[in-house]
Amino acid sequence: MIFQKSTHKNVIEEDMPESEAPVGTERVDEVETIVGPSVNVEGDFASEGNIIVKGTVSGSVHTSRFLSVELGAKIMANVRAGTAKISGEVKGNLKIRETIELTSTAKVLGDIEARVLSVEPGALLFGKVSMPGIEGAETKNLKPRTSRRGEETVEVGE
Amino acid sequence: MYVYLYDNFLRHKKYDSIIKSVEVRLTDYGIAGKILRLNNFIDPKQVIDDEIKRGAKTVVIVGNDATFGYVLSRAATCDCTFGFLPIGISNTISEVLGIPTGVEACDILSKRRKESLDVGWMNNRYFISQLHVLPAKLKVVYDERFAVTANEKMEVVVCNLQPFYWKKDKKDKAEQVIHPQDGKLEAFLRPLTKQGWWGYKYEDPSVFPFEEMEIVSDSPFTVEADGKVSKEIKVKIKLAHGKIDMIVGRNRKF
Repeated sequence: MIFQKSTHKNVIEEDMPESEAPVGTERVDEVETIVGPSVNVEGDFASEGNIIVKGTVSGSVHTSRFLSVELGAKIMANVRAGTAKISGEVKGNLKIRETIELTSTAKVLGDIEARVLSVEPGALLFGKVSMPGIEGAETKNLKPRTSRRGEETVEVGE
Repeated sequence: MYVYLYDNFLRHKKYDSIIKSVEVRLTDYGIAGKILRLNNFIDPKQVIDDEIKRGAKTVVIVGNDATFGYVLSRAATCDCTFGFLPIGISNTISEVLGIPTGVEACDILSKRRKESLDVGWMNNRYFISQLHVLPAKLKVVYDERFAVTANEKMEVVVCNLQPFYWKKDKKDKAEQVIHPQDGKLEAFLRPLTKQGWWGYKYEDPSVFPFEEMEIVSDSPFTVEADGKVSKEIKVKIKLAHGKIDMIVGRNRKF
């Protein structure tokens, strides 16, 4: 019984969605890479820790953790991150594992892929938004269409 | 056997009492040893190598940040354990190592809690505390993947053990500190922007943790590492893992 209980507890812990983890605490404590104002970064900019951008970045940006694009910052690159908060300008596709937050000063020209998206009034967005939770619905809609097409081709053949 | 390397500034009268009490405490613990005094004409590596041949196992640096950097940047390859007794002002590295200033440092030394420290490698020499590149038009390439530039001049500080203290400008009274992490070197880039006709103003620093970086410029720039100043056009900075065996305190920051 004791073992059963402990395994059950473990399963619950594993099943907990990562989005429920307190992201805010990570943001404050573990600032690792800071791109300051009037600094230009070119190339594949990758970091294992949190990234705060206040300057200009072109190329690609990759972090498994938190990315913050501050007001006045410019990113001309494809972005991959764990979570992100955008207050500046981004030209490129954003692929975010968890949550992306667009504040009122954000300007995004590119596609967004994220599990959770929050947009403040005033934020500018031009691009396609896709969320992994809705993928199942898309495939269901597609299936009958293909079958119909199949039927149609058969009819044409006759 | 213990060997103690005293910095030259400890000859000053005001340090007599503290030196005496340190020596008494070391004798109490049974770890007193040979005392050698450093000066500008002594190469610490040669002295330490000679003492190792005579049977020394532990070399203790007595002084401040400058002494620590001066000795270890030259003697990082020596095969012995290093200790540190911080005395006097400007001791920031001792805080990182968890060693209190003055007589209490003897307690840490006697406990012999050993850790391997990472050392910075710059072109052809080691640096322990900090590497400082004075403001110049620079291009910094990180891990051969991305390059960082500024519109105007830029100052670069690479921290290994010594924390980075900075102020926004001369009038700014609140000094800000960033503590280096273990396992990586930290580069602090401070671009300068023009203010008025002649003046320059420091921007907020950028922070990049890295293992390998290259600083390049078209014109020679000044590099200062552990008190040694040189002019370079290209500097390659790397991290050498676990080069130094060091006696550290319990309250160390890594």
